[in-house]
Amino acid sequence: MLVTLPVLSQEAPQPPSQLANLLGSDADTGFAKALQPREFVFPADHGPHPEFRNEWWYVTGNLDGEAGERFGYELTFFRFALAPDSADSDSDWRTNQVYIAHLAVTDAGDERFFVAQRYSRGALGLAGARAEPFGVWIDDWRMEQEQVGWQLEAHDDEFGIDVNLVALRQPVLNGVDGLSQKSAAPGNASYYYSITRLLTNGALRIGERTFKVSGVSWLDREWSTSALADDQVGWDWFALQLADGRDLMFYSLRKKDGSQDAASAGTFVNPDGSVTHLGPDDLVIDVLDTWESPEGGAYPSRWQLSLPGEDLEMTVTPVIPNQELFTTVRYWEGAVDVAGAYRGQPFDGRGYVELTGYAE
Amino acid sequence: MIPVTYRASFSYLLRHPWQLLLSLLGIGVGVAVIVAVDLANASARKAFLLSMDAVTGAATHQVIGGPRGVPEAVYVDLRLDGIRSIAPVVEDTVVVDGASLTVLGVDLFAEQEIRSFTGESESRDDDGAGGRAALFSGFLVSPGAVTTTGQTAMELGLEPGDAFTVRANGRRHTAELLSIFPGDSGGLDRMLVADIATAQEWLGRPGWLSRIDVRIEDGDEAALAALESALPDGTRLLSAARRTQSTADMSKAFMTNLTAMSLLALLVGLFLIFNSVSFSVLQRRPLIGTLRALGLTRRQLLAMILVESGVVGLTAAVIGLVLGIVLGEQLLGLVTRSINDFYFRVNVTDVSVDAFSIAKGFVAGVGAALVAAAFPAYEATSYEPRLALTRSVLERRARSALPALTLAGLAAILAAVLLISFSGTNLVAGLTATFMLILGFAMGVPSFVHLASQLTAPVAQSMGGTPARLAVAGIGTGLSRTGVAIVALAVAVSATLGISVMVDSFRGSVNAWLRDTLQADIYAGAGRGSLDPALVDALRNLDGVDASSTTRQVTLEDSDGRTRVRVIEMAPGSYAGGEILDGDRDAVWAAWESGDAVLASDPYAFQKGVGAGDTITLPTDKGPREFDLVARFQSYDINASVLLMSRTTYNRHFNDDAIDSVGLYLADGVDVDAVITAVQEAASGTQSVRVASNAGIRQQSLRIFDRTFVITDVLYWLALGVAFIGILSAMLALQLERAREFATLRALGMTPRQVGGLITAQTGAIGLLSGLAAIPLGIVMAWVLIRVINRRAFGWQIDMTVGVEILLVSVVFSIGAALLAGLYPAWRAGRSQPAIAMREE
Repeated sequence: MLVTLPVLSQEAPQPPSQLANLLGSDADTGFAKALQPREFVFPADHGPHPEFRNEWWYVTGNLDGEAGERFGYELTFFRFALAPDSADSDSDWRTNQVYIAHLAVTDAGDERFFVAQRYSRGALGLAGARAEPFGVWIDDWRMEQEQVGWQLEAHDDEFGIDVNLVALRQPVLNGVDGLSQKSAAPGNASYYYSITRLLTNGALRIGERTFKVSGVSWLDREWSTSALADDQVGWDWFALQLADGRDLMFYSLRKKDGSQDAASAGTFVNPDGSVTHLGPDDLVIDVLDTWESPEGGAYPSRWQLSLPGEDLEMTVTPVIPNQELFTTVRYWEGAVDVAGAYRGQPFDGRGYVELTGYAE
Repeated sequence: MIPVTYRASFSYLLRHPWQLLLSLLGIGVGVAVIVAVDLANASARKAFLLSMDAVTGAATHQVIGGPRGVPEAVYVDLRLDGIRSIAPVVEDTVVVDGASLTVLGVDLFAEQEIRSFTGESESRDDDGAGGRAALFSGFLVSPGAVTTTGQTAMELGLEPGDAFTVRANGRRHTAELLSIFPGDSGGLDRMLVADIATAQEWLGRPGWLSRIDVRIEDGDEAALAALESALPDGTRLLSAARRTQSTADMSKAFMTNLTAMSLLALLVGLFLIFNSVSFSVLQRRPLIGTLRALGLTRRQLLAMILVESGVVGLTAAVIGLVLGIVLGEQLLGLVTRSINDFYFRVNVTDVSVDAFSIAKGFVAGVGAALVAAAFPAYEATSYEPRLALTRSVLERRARSALPALTLAGLAAILAAVLLISFSGTNLVAGLTATFMLILGFAMGVPSFVHLASQLTAPVAQSMGGTPARLAVAGIGTGLSRTGVAIVALAVAVSATLGISVMVDSFRGSVNAWLRDTLQADIYAGAGRGSLDPALVDALRNLDGVDASSTTRQVTLEDSDGRTRVRVIEMAPGSYAGGEILDGDRDAVWAAWESGDAVLASDPYAFQKGVGAGDTITLPTDKGPREFDLVARFQSYDINASVLLMSRTTYNRHFNDDAIDSVGLYLADGVDVDAVITAVQEAASGTQSVRVASNAGIRQQSLRIFDRTFVITDVLYWLALGVAFIGILSAMLALQLERAREFATLRALGMTPRQVGGLITAQTGAIGLLSGLAAIPLGIVMAWVLIRVINRRAFGWQIDMTVGVEILLVSVVFSIGAALLAGLYPAWRAGRSQPAIAMREE
């Protein structure tokens, strides 16, 4: 989950708060808003919801090569509506829809991190999304329904991925029946579902080398017309897949004064697929370490997470410290290892963490 | 300490301020004219390249298509294939407030590989990141949003946030200035950068791109090959640099002509400089003789004169440069207008003072002064001291040099004739030959003057008594002084005569051709771009319209360059007009209609060296195809290098049904004006069209024709100005030198009026002789301009016609100019005190 606006430039990324000003207070007029729970219908809801201002298809995953190599990847498609409607036009180029995609690969063994970005207007088939058959794409980067599962294919000059994803779980609705509140203000919420486990097989390329890879991915789907509240600076997002079959998603919204926003929340998925929703106080996050970005700014880099109610403790450690993306918005999104104990039973796991608002 | 020689030199100059001033002015004007033309040309070219640079950005190649452009699907397919360093462009001319601007429609999302418009754009909302975001979202969300340079916004009187009207292809659209480019983006002046959707909407081209800009790293043959193989038929990948070059080439002949005219001005200027320096040396002959007698060496004296000329030349060159820059600015407007009318849109706001142009003018000025001084200086210092004091020796020598000079002139003319005969279509050789001709004639003029004055002196005696005889004979006997002035005037007059004859002949041919070519009674066109298809139907079905024809003008481009093709659908029973130069007319038109055939304009055939029976390969929408060249036809279009294709043939090879203009043939007795009104009514609300009657178009065409030659006019007036100053200076010098002679005449009882009359008669005679000498040179020059220069530069074949009036005008003009230049010297001579003037200086 990443609230951002399409400031497209080659230069330094811009702080989201500054971007938020752009739209002004009433800029969301005319857009649909997430005001109350809705019924999710699949596969229709895999497709786009252009009446909302922001939407994304967010896939992260931990992969293993045949020789034991350890990789992480992120492929995300963002959709932005620049205005509630598109002007009538004879030109097919006219649209209010913009797509951005981020591709990142973490090579844990060689401690390398690769990032690439694409953007395009959602017109003429240059970029777009559809529900049936499911697809979202920019140029030749795509996430598409295949005969079995979804195919994710995206290549940059230096690296790329081409993997097949098969859902191992049903979509999980986050928040209240999929309505995920982001601040106290009504409408400052998103519709948010996740598929927390997708069996992943395929190929990953770094330079001239192509690795046969397999592992587990996570899909986050979210659409909204919300932005960060004035007193919020960013968030920490955890998506952890534990070896005992449990999955944990938690987003901690941080306020300017350093405290955690009361809208912070999460979802705990049990091995049987049942769901426990987490409130702001259900998860305690302690930062154990920080990483100084060579470009300035410091990110938390190791965490102790505890769910006192569940008697669950775990340590979350990035596979490598530097997984910072310099795209339209600067953020940290990286593969992590998990080690912990549930009711005294040790377990391990993997996952992804996203950190925004730390370096601006 | 300044050596005595230089002190003598400078005190001489200071004691002859008029002469000094005229020398300065003569060289100055000559330098000014070349600098001005050079600057105007260089500025226009530089502005063009700068603008091409900004527009091309980092693109190394461009994908172009057929007449309508590149289907946008081609671009989408390339993108979806993963080819990234490409950007679509929709570009054309629009009009804002009467000013032509280019709208450059881009997809900002694809631009990061090609161009940067997003620097630190200054927008109305915000700056920095906000400005960039505003640009992206403004372009997409607000139809009509544009950005431009600060300079252009200022010229249009616009501030960010202002709305204004843009006229494109006869339709009005509302634009909004979203922001202004940061800093200096001069290359994008007069350019409205808009979203590609806005550009398509304005230009009425949904589905089509003007081109796809491509960036391929140098030497990446694989990427090049991959892209080329991905392109469908009807599209081509061309080098961006080559395309820029071929655009620039379109105006090359025009600029070369302009340069040629400026060199003509310098040539006249050179005579003038030679003239001035000769006089200054001639006048100081006594001084030189004295200095020699005092023991100064020949070398010292030579150095003195050369240094003096060098200093004068240097000063004059500086004056000339300043004058040239000012003049260049005036000229630039004219040059830009001509280029915009006929070749491509170029925006030049300022003369860019190019160091090379300045250097050229400087070298020309100083060099000309030195070269011009060298000969008289050598001559003056080569005599024995005693001889240097005598004038008669000088005149004798001048006369004895006549045969050699005349021979040299004949040799130059012969060389020019040979050069013209053996240089094919080379324009530079043609120009060189023209200068050699002028030079040759110029060398012959003194002989002519000598002979003429000898022959006419008795006639003058019988007509105007002794003063008249003295005046006429004085020209011949004072040849060392008057000869140069006569030559300068003769060259200037012949240049005007030659150019006038050329322009008149040209105009006559164009007029005849227009009458022949324009067959319909009324023409309606979109001006730029094509007509609305529904409007075309409506016009063809107007009451009173018997039949109609249509035209479409397209430019086909492949790696060999550009070919203009005029596509014509003829009215039944009509023909496309214009004179067929090969074969039987009916057979030619029939063959042209039926097969894959084209007609070539004579300029096209001349430039490409092709003729009837050849085949021409053209890039069609289905790939390259061969067409038979059936015959040549006459054309005086400014862009006369063109092929004529029938609509049927065109439709077989191109997916383009656009029509640029229709010709309406009216039934007998139908009122032309009434139909014109009906056309305007039919068009109102759809598209503003240009409607004109047959006669109206002819007038308009001739007006444009005349406008083209405004530059020619300006330049030959300058040449005449230089010549005028030459005569003035010659007559002044003559008067100064002959002060004693005139004083003697006064003392002998001639009144000031009579002395003034003598001088006036003499200048009048100089004018007459110059005018007469100018006639043969003028006619030959006209012939060379028509048959060699124009043919080689533009390919036009013009029928030369020489009117008697123009010859008379030239002579009268020549006499008038000379008389005018003689007024002041005559007045001065008349006023001189005989007693003082008779004393030795």
